[in-house]
Order: sequence, then structure tokens, then C-alpha cells
Amino acid sequence: MTQPIDTSIYAAVTAAIQGEAKRILSEGQVTAIVGYAAARRKGSAQPIVISQPDDAQKLIFTPACVNNLAVYLTKAKKEIPKTGKIGIVVKGCDLKALAGLMGESQLKRENLYLIGVPCAGVLGSTIQPDTELTSDSIAPKCTECNERMPPECDFVPAVQVPVNQGLEKKYAAEIARLEALTPQERWAYWKEQFSKCIKCYACRQVCPFCFCEQCLCDRNKPQMVETTPRPAGNFAWHIVRAMHLAGRCAGCAECERVCPMDIPLNLLNRKMAKELKELFEHEAGFEVQEKGPLNSFTDKDDQSFIK
Amino acid sequence: MCENTNKNIYLPYLATVEEVIDETPDVRTLRLVFQDEQVRENFSFRAGQFAEYSAFGAGESTFCIASSPTRKGYIECCFRSVGRVTEELRRLEPGDTMGVRGPYGNSYPIEELFGKNLVFVAGGIALPPLRTLIWNCLDLRDKFGEITIVYGARTQADLVYKRELQEWEQRGDVRLVKTVDPGGNGPDWDGQVGFVPTILAETAPSADNTIALVCGPPVMIKFTLPVLEKLCFGDDQVYTTLENRMKCGLGKCGRCNVGNVYVCKDGPVFTAAQVKAMPMEF
Amino acid sequence: MQNYISQQNFNALLDSLISQGKRVVAPRTNAGTVLYEPLANAADMVIDQLPRRSGKEAFFPLCEDIMTYQKEGQKIELQDIDPTRFLETVLVGVRPCDAAAIPVLDAVFSWDYKDEFFLERRKKTTIIGLACTQADDACFCTAVGLTPADPKGADLFLTPLEGGGYACETQSEKGEALVANNKELFAEPNGYKPLPLAEPQTGKFDLKKVKAWLDEHFEDPAWDSIATRCVGCGACAFVCPACHCFDIVDEGTEKQGKRRKNWDACGFWKFTHHASGHNPRDQQPKRYRNRIMHKFKYYDDKFGQTLCTGCGRCIRLCPVGIDIADILQDIDKIEVKVKVEENS
Repeated sequence: MTQPIDTSIYAAVTAAIQGEAKRILSEGQVTAIVGYAAARRKGSAQPIVISQPDDAQKLIFTPACVNNLAVYLTKAKKEIPKTGKIGIVVKGCDLKALAGLMGESQLKRENLYLIGVPCAGVLGSTIQPDTELTSDSIAPKCTECNERMPPECDFVPAVQVPVNQGLEKKYAAEIARLEALTPQERWAYWKEQFSKCIKCYACRQVCPFCFCEQCLCDRNKPQMVETTPRPAGNFAWHIVRAMHLAGRCAGCAECERVCPMDIPLNLLNRKMAKELKELFEHEAGFEVQEKGPLNSFTDKDDQSFIK
Repeated sequence: MCENTNKNIYLPYLATVEEVIDETPDVRTLRLVFQDEQVRENFSFRAGQFAEYSAFGAGESTFCIASSPTRKGYIECCFRSVGRVTEELRRLEPGDTMGVRGPYGNSYPIEELFGKNLVFVAGGIALPPLRTLIWNCLDLRDKFGEITIVYGARTQADLVYKRELQEWEQRGDVRLVKTVDPGGNGPDWDGQVGFVPTILAETAPSADNTIALVCGPPVMIKFTLPVLEKLCFGDDQVYTTLENRMKCGLGKCGRCNVGNVYVCKDGPVFTAAQVKAMPMEF
Repeated sequence: MQNYISQQNFNALLDSLISQGKRVVAPRTNAGTVLYEPLANAADMVIDQLPRRSGKEAFFPLCEDIMTYQKEGQKIELQDIDPTRFLETVLVGVRPCDAAAIPVLDAVFSWDYKDEFFLERRKKTTIIGLACTQADDACFCTAVGLTPADPKGADLFLTPLEGGGYACETQSEKGEALVANNKELFAEPNGYKPLPLAEPQTGKFDLKKVKAWLDEHFEDPAWDSIATRCVGCGACAFVCPACHCFDIVDEGTEKQGKRRKNWDACGFWKFTHHASGHNPRDQQPKRYRNRIMHKFKYYDDKFGQTLCTGCGRCIRLCPVGIDIADILQDIDKIEVKVKVEENS
């Protein structure tokens, strides 16, 4: 049954973000702030970079503030100046990506001013941004979220996040369903999903962890992955990406949200995360970890795969 | 121009590599002969036009046709191996097969050059797009006035067409000024030392009844155009070629445009006046 | 000439075409996403939804083979693609924003060199257009000179009627032939009322004014503020009914393989990147500028047409909420300001 999600705190969150943004820009604590602003379509929001205190009033937080803005702080986004300290509006899920980027020496904590968002959830899709936030329209990641107040930020609006009772954990349920299938059935499922892939690379371009100077898939000496949107190349691309993200992806699910073909990409990432938790007791979270389990070796690692 | 008989505009002609000439350690010339007899006889082009060259399995790469249209029976291309296709083309040996689509694009207006003095200015690997015209003009030598060639590269080793430079030097009817960048000269160097624009200024060709044809890396072009201006060359007296990335060469695939100008169809040959009117997108 | 066809008879028409071996391409659900795809049964059609990707792929597929090669020692053999094997196709349920893009694409694929892959499919395809009854605030067909009832590009144009069925207007010989060959399925119009047309909820802008501004503002700080947020994916281009840039790649082994033509996008950094490392469009705002310029200036300069039909897909699907209609409205306003200044 569809239940409404209480987002009444977002007005207070917006006001607090605006106030803090204005203050830190006026005081020169940051050179710029990456946040969300309202856009033309009713209910819509889009990322914005502001550097003037007067522009702080443009910042908002609403259920359409879906983007993980961490992507703009990576070296892949050359257009955003990385000089001085930069403010960024972060939800809990986005903050995990920042922690990951810090662990990978891509960002330094002292260069960031974190404006944390007490978050009751955001939309799973912004194709129609003027959609009421309910247990149906909420992003699947929000049904499994347990970090509605992002920790260790420089500023978090002082509001109480209402608790959403009894939302079905959508990824856990879907992973359980897929795990129960036979390998052939699972293969058929992903084959059908990947058949829709058009190689627009939106999944890669929004991913905070896809910051490689040159993606393996854009290299052609040798051509490791076929660029053609056909089954072989599509499979290769998504599997390569899932492997590269294993242990790093903390589940912002941007890849899945932006996929114009609705491929449930975060299922792959969540499944990998589950495997890594079971195999290595590793979880990508708020803690800055220098090395993930797939790029370090300990003698406790499971070696049963060597036969 | 020969009418392409293929209905499939993306289908190349097959050509046999007849000769492989190493111009520099990483620049190579391939002399190609079309395998189909009719194509061999009918393929004709004008100096300045380009083609798409296939290394099957790697893809296609765009270069000018570097030989002169006056030399029949073969065409030549000249390339530096920097990418996937050019590295594959470099592996080809005499007798091997590759693909050629073309000729594409516009050309130098050679008829308009009749009766004029010509100044060719080239840098590094950009001599091939002028070399086609140089030989075309030399093969019709009577139709032109004085011919001056200012050619430079970073080092002696980077000069392409070394045998031809010698030949041009020895001809009485061409003035060749060759140069290498400071530090690029060995003990046996008998040319100038200095950047192409500087040497061009020193050579100081008269602009009177003269056309300048300039090809080189963007930085060379940038510093050469003001020198020509100082020498009183009008923007309509200067020609150059643009080399944006291309795939189809046919005005379809949409990547070679500089503003609303499609280099593959409207170019690659442009006057300095045309280039100056374009947005900075090359 | 007007004719009426009931939904039932329309489905019967499609089923009959399918049974004749024709490829009937219509909106259909594939793994949860509505796309234009070949139907096995007319019942699979989801005609009331705008497919996620446009109708262009009926003529210009996401990926197609343009030749095959085979190596044997020093010899190579090429195999051309036989265009006669392209199937006779009926493209069904195409809304004006998708149908109108097809004649726009004719211009680029048929000027000078003729792209037989596009043109042969075009020749063999009959397009059944559909007046549009649903719009949202991403739709802006009316701002680019179309209407929800514009039959441009369609061979047969359907208007949905109250109580079901369609009023049919033939727009070309192909459309006439389709009706004539299936006369028994059509009836005389008998006073049915058309469903109310869609009302795009996006403000208008003046294409001439937009172009006049673009003519003069290749360099402008606006490009940075518009497109700094652009993350450089190809979603906008790939869902666009008019974008037509493509890549040509070889795929296969040393011995044999195929040359393929794949959709490409000017938003990708790789699009204009030279092997030497030089890139004329080295920053995302320059790439996004090319997208806008190509659609509203360059294509107009070259072919006298706008390369946008206002379907709104790029707006709905941009990962970072870039809104082309908003950008064009803003440009429209700038121009107004300039004019006011001149007059005062």
C-alpha cells in the first residue's frame, strides 16, 4: 500500500542551508558551494555552483534533489575549479562517496566544507519531478537508508528527521529474488536488461568513483571492451564497471537513477557490496579507508577459489 | 573526379601496399595501388583532397592524399603512428592489402595559382598536404612564377621527404629554405636554425603576385599568419588546411565542424580569411 | 479524404501486416521500458506512451553493420551489406515530435553523398503518425513550430477519438496504398469527436531570435553557466529524435570482422579528440554549446531546418536536469533585452 513520506522538514532544511551558505561565502570560508537549485519544471531541481553570498538564496532541498554532487569534486569534472575550500551539500549517501574519494586520495577533508542534509528520502526518478514522495516513488536506496543524519559534517540543520516505518527494503528483496533464480534464469534476466543499454555512459559520468583520466572503455589500444551497443560489449561494460566499483560503491545509486533505459544497475553494486561484506567484512561507509579488500591482500583472505 | 561506383558510401576500395618508406622513426609513407583495374584507371583527385584509410580490424584514419595528381597509377599517404589505426597501418608490408575511401573534400584552386609566385610554408608532419601540391606545380612548372618552400621540423630526424628535399634543393627552379628548431641541428646540418615563422620572416618572400600555402601544427600557424601579414600578404593570398577529427568524410557523422563549417565538405583547404572568420574550434 | 478505423480493426491491420512478413515497429514494453520495437502481435503495442527512445532508430539503428571483412594472408575480401534485405516496415504510433524529425534527418542523409542505409529503410517504411493527447512540462513541440496534431513526416495520420478508434488522414502515396489495400478495415467517419489534443506546458520562444543570438554568441559566458553542470554523457543525444552523429568502428578478430556504424554524441570528450592529444572542444561547456549550435544554428544554416522537434526527452532524462527549453527561453529573453536597449 502506498504511504506518503513526510518531507515537511525540507522547508527548514532549505532555510538552514541558505543561511549557512550565505554565512560561509560572506566570511570567505569557502570559495564556492555546490548545491541544488530549483529549475524550470515544476518540482524540479538541478545542481548549481555558487560563489556569491547573494546566490545562497537559490539553494534548496526537496525530494527532487537526487544528484550525488560529489561527482563535481572529482578530477573528472575539470570545469569546476578546485581552488580553495569548497562547500558541498550532502545527503548521507553522498557523504559516503566523499569518504571513499578521501580514502583514494582524491579529496582532502580540510578542503571541504560539508553541509549535511537531514534527509527523509528523495525521488527514485526525476523524469516527472512534480511527483509526491511516497513509499512507491521514493528512491529504492532510501528504503534501506540508515544514515538520515550525515555524521561529522561542518554543518547540519538542527531538525529531527521523521522515521519512515516499515518501508520494504527494495534492493534486499530484489537481490533475494534474483539469488533464488537458477543461473540460466539470472543470465536471461540480465541479458534482457543489458539488451536495452545504449552505451550513453550516463552511469559512468554521474559516478563519483568513475574519475579515471581515461576510462578503460574509452581506450582502444587495445580495445578491451567493444564500444558497440551490442550484447557482448554491453555485458563487458557493466561487469567491468561493477568490478571496478566493488568495495568502493556505497550505494548512491546515481547510475541506476540516470539510466535512460531503466537498467537496475545498482543491483549489481549492492550484490557486490553484499559479497564483500560476507567475504572480507568490508563495507564502504563513512569511515575513510585507504584500501578496499580488492586492492589489498591479507593472509586471512578467503582462498577457497584456488583449486 | 571519379564517380564512386559503390552504392554503399562507406565501402572502401581495396589497395595493395606497393612500397613502404620510412620518413622519420615514426612517420611512414605508403604507396598504394588500387586492386580493381577500373578503379586504378579512373581514380582521380585534386591536390588537397583527403581520404579515409582502413586497417581492417582497427578502423579508419583520415589523411590527405600526399602524392601529386599528376603522378598516375598510385597514391601515397603519409602518417605518424599515434593511434590504433595508424599503428596497424604501420604494420603493413609491401603486398599487404588496405582500404581507401575517397577522394573527399575540396582542393587547392590550382588554376587560380597559374601565373603566380608560390610560397609553401610547412612544419613537421604537415608537409604531406603541401607536398601533393608542390609536385603538382613542379610537374607543371611553366605555369608558375617563383616557387619558394620554407620547411622546418623540430630536429633533422623529424624532417619528412628527405630525398625530395635534396631533389628540390638541387633543382634550379625552386628555392628551398629548410630549418630545424634551435637544438635540433646535428654537426652535418646545412640548413637554417630557427622556428619556421622566424625563418619565413628572414626569407621575406615578396607578396607581390604571390600566394602562400601554409600547413603546420596550430602553434606554427598561429605565429606564421602574422609574419605573412607583415610581409603584406592579404588574407585571400594565404591558404591553409584544417585537420579536425573525422569519421565519415562525407558530411554525415557530425564531428569535424568548426562552427557551421564542415571541414570534410567545405574544407580541408581554406583561405586565411575563411579561417579567421571561424570560431576557435580547431 | 478521411476514414475511421476502430482500435480493433487497427490491431487487425497490424496483425495482417505482420502475417504478410512486414516488420511492424511500434511502442512496446521491453524489460519494463517502452521502446519502438518490432511487434509479434498487435496486442503487445503500448500506443498510449511516448517511447523512451525516438522513432529514428527505424532508419538509423543504434548500431548497424556497414560491411564485413575477411583476411587471408595478404588478401582481404570485403562483403557489402545488401540493402534489399532490409524489410518492408510499418512504423506505428509515431507522435508528431518523432515523425517530424524524420524528414529533418532526410536532409543530412541525402545531401551530396547518399546514405543508402538510411534512405533504403526510409523508402521501405510507411509511417503511421498519431496525434498527441498527452503532454507534460518537458514537451515543447509548439515552441519549435509543430503542433500535437501536425502530420509532418507521417504517411498516414491518426487522430484518437472519444470512445476509441481513430480518424485517419492519408498524407502520401504510401499512406493511400496502406488504406486502399485494407479498405475493409476502414469505415466512413460518423461524427466521432477527436480526443482533446495535448497541451505542451512549456513557454514559447522565438526560433529566429534564438538563432540571431547564436549567430553572434559563440563566445559567451552564458555557456559556462548553462553547461558547467553537464557531466558529459550521451543520454540527451541518444534519446533525441533528431541527433544523428555517429561513429564508425571495426569489431572482430585479426581474421574477420565487421565495420559498424554506431550512434555517437557530441557531449563525449572523445568525440573530437585527436590521436595527438589535441581536442578542439576540450571542455564540457564547449561540447554542450555545439549541441545547441548544431540544433538551432548550424543545421538551419545548412539545411534551413531546426534540428529539434520539442519532444522533451532530453529534458526528462538529463542526469543533471539540464533543460534545453529553459535555455532557449533564456536566450529569447536576452535578445528581447538587447532589442529594448537598442530602441531606448
